Amino acid sequence: MEGLSLFRPFCCSNASSVVSPPRARPFLHLHPSRLLRQLPVPSSRFRSVGSVVCSTSNDQLSQSVEADSSDWAMQDFYSLRREVEAASARVEDIRASAGLQQLERELAELEVKASGASFWDDRAQAQQTLLALTDVKDKIRLLSDFKTQVEEAETIVMLTEEMDSKDRGLLEEAAGIIKELNKALDRFELTELLSGPYDKEGAVVSITAGAGGTDAQDWADMLLRMYVRWGEKQRYKTRVVEKSMGEEAGIKSATLEVEGRYAYGYISGEKGTHRIVRQSPFNAKGLRQTSFSGVEVMPLLPEESLNVEIPEEDLEISFSRAGGKGGQNVNKVETAVRITHIPTRVTVRCTEERSQLSNKIKALSRLKAKLLVIAEEQRASEIKQIRGDAVKAEWGQQIRNYVFHPYKLVKDVRTGYETSDISSVMDGELDPFIKTYLKYKYSMAQSANEAGQ
Amino acid sequence: MKPTVRPSFVRAWPCIASDFSTFFLRLPPPPLAHARNIAQIRHRRIHSSLSPPPPPPLLASSPPSVPPPLFLRPPKYTTTVADLLEWHSWAKSLAASVGSSFEDSDNGPDSRLLCRELNWLMEDVLDGFDPSLMHKAVARDDPDVIVSSRADVQELYRLWKQRIEERRPFQYIVGCEHWRDLILCVREGVLIPRPETEIIVDLVGDVISKDQGLREGLWADLGTGSGAIAIGIAKILGDYGSVIATDLSPVAIQVASFNVERYSLQEKIEVREGSWLDPLKGVEGKVAGLVSNPPYIPSDDIGGLQAEVGRHEPRLALDGGAEGMDDLLHLCNGAASMLKPGSFFAFETNGEKQCKFLVDYMQNQLPGSFCNVNTASDFAGTQRFVTGFRNG
Repeated sequence: MEGLSLFRPFCCSNASSVVSPPRARPFLHLHPSRLLRQLPVPSSRFRSVGSVVCSTSNDQLSQSVEADSSDWAMQDFYSLRREVEAASARVEDIRASAGLQQLERELAELEVKASGASFWDDRAQAQQTLLALTDVKDKIRLLSDFKTQVEEAETIVMLTEEMDSKDRGLLEEAAGIIKELNKALDRFELTELLSGPYDKEGAVVSITAGAGGTDAQDWADMLLRMYVRWGEKQRYKTRVVEKSMGEEAGIKSATLEVEGRYAYGYISGEKGTHRIVRQSPFNAKGLRQTSFSGVEVMPLLPEESLNVEIPEEDLEISFSRAGGKGGQNVNKVETAVRITHIPTRVTVRCTEERSQLSNKIKALSRLKAKLLVIAEEQRASEIKQIRGDAVKAEWGQQIRNYVFHPYKLVKDVRTGYETSDISSVMDGELDPFIKTYLKYKYSMAQSANEAGQ
Repeated sequence: MKPTVRPSFVRAWPCIASDFSTFFLRLPPPPLAHARNIAQIRHRRIHSSLSPPPPPPLLASSPPSVPPPLFLRPPKYTTTVADLLEWHSWAKSLAASVGSSFEDSDNGPDSRLLCRELNWLMEDVLDGFDPSLMHKAVARDDPDVIVSSRADVQELYRLWKQRIEERRPFQYIVGCEHWRDLILCVREGVLIPRPETEIIVDLVGDVISKDQGLREGLWADLGTGSGAIAIGIAKILGDYGSVIATDLSPVAIQVASFNVERYSLQEKIEVREGSWLDPLKGVEGKVAGLVSNPPYIPSDDIGGLQAEVGRHEPRLALDGGAEGMDDLLHLCNGAASMLKPGSFFAFETNGEKQCKFLVDYMQNQLPGSFCNVNTASDFAGTQRFVTGFRNG
């Protein structure tokens, strides 16, 4: 039974330190106590049992098992079986989409490279290769662990069905495996989906009211609130750093900083044009109106990671200063700075800082972050290679419709995901949209990779 | 052309008189005898009817004292979120009631700018400002959360009233102005540094990046006010060079000295009291760079200025005489004797007309003194600065 030894990578460290090295045993002889000790069992019911196991003899264990065994009624078994089936399908999916064969090819290539005679000539390069090698190995190991674990659970389910007896220990074993497996699969998916170079960073979200007058400005304000609420739900630190009010209602533009791990990775897919259809409260006749607002998302990059030099002549810097003769004649506190990167026409603005120079510095770092992201998206190795025409088309793409009237529907035009619970969405319940989009983006990247091979 | 005390200087006194006793108490009294005399005279004027003449000025006991800038005060007050929000929404509606009326009457701030100022006021007043915290407290229906603050709520009401009703400049309300990467303390009696003037430091930066000799030399900022330009230059000089900052106004001398100390630049910047070039006696022909933002507004324009400027900022720092050129011309005439060969100068002006006049004046009235005389624009595209080099 090779499968048994493969249990180990899955155990948390404190458990494996307690357990003696596993010996190969026939499956049927598996003793519940051993299995229980190996499992990191998080639910409180399991934990109490587990702690008994670790500290007391097997007699006491069997007593507690008997006392609890009525818990395992038939429906528990059936629901467990369903969970195991679902996990099995999920493992298959992930193994397929992760491109196992491709990974094995990569591994072989890297190993050839690492065994080359001149491998250590370039130390930095060698380090990189070794890191990549470890990464690929870890990933392959993880993928095979998933398979082993789900097979363990399947075997237990099968045995229980065939033998028509319910060994409570075994069933708990399977439940524990599935629980941990699902967590590991979540983690794996997340790291796969959020593997972009800036995904771990915080985010800067800029919202600009588009066509539609006051209605659009109100819509921009609604979006701002939606993202603030979303950020608070994720326990991110959110800060509205700039807000330019509309004349009658709403906002012309706003900038929101979201600090926290993976904030950018999650929210970057919100970039694009958001369209609202409703009976506008700003429309005297109460007619149905369509308005738009643009959302831009950039990573909040630490200054030292912005080691990009942009030639001065590529920058068009303009400052807004309200009328008059300027200089000593005027005392106004706003010192907005707007910078355009001439080759790409990418533009950023910064108004929230209290001095001209600070606004300029911040605008410049925002511009760099934006250009880095665009370069990454276009797979350009340098800012110079960015195709400006593509930026405009892509960043302005309409991504989602919010219909308040005549029916209620929020629909993402990229993924097709939709919900009629529009009020929850406006309250920041964006996770389903974000997750669906991340998966969609991942599968698009995968198929692009496959097509490229 | 009289570079010393002009009538406008005397007129400017009443508005700053009450602020003479200062929060910069640990600084020594100004060295010039006449300054002390003026101070004593003013104190007598204020206090004679109330009490015996107070002790010499600049001692801790001289009333009324100017409170320190908000952001430097200890957060010793506490207030509930509810009280703070009540003040905030009162202040916001007061700002909203302004609409564009200030803008229409004298190009003053509109509601939008006032709301921005309000946010910054909150930033300076609250210890570890986090506006989302307030909204969360409201959302949780927990208005009794305590916030620590650098001013009590009553003072905040008073300050915002002054802002809107008296048009007292925001920077005097909070006691500071963010300028370049600096936070400069300011108060009545000292010109609030303008964003346009930030460019003078950039102009100097360009010059010293090409000429190490200038970087290592002696720089002078004449009419330094809050010390903005002098501190900006001292910072870009880095380990090299030094700066003399001069001003005629004792208040400016105190404020500039305070700011210099706050950035620990006492070793690098010497603050000297006196009119324009007078305090440079002893360094004639040795100055590597001379910069100034002198008063340049024509006297006739003063009455029509934005209320924040015309009613509250020191006329001494604004009024440049009939054409606004009195002090600029005085500086041009005197600069040549101070500057060493190859040295640099930059002056801020009221705009294109003054720029052109100065360039023409230097070329035709002071032939051979300067070379490469040019104008430079501010960020709004207005020709604002005259720059050049001393021949040699």
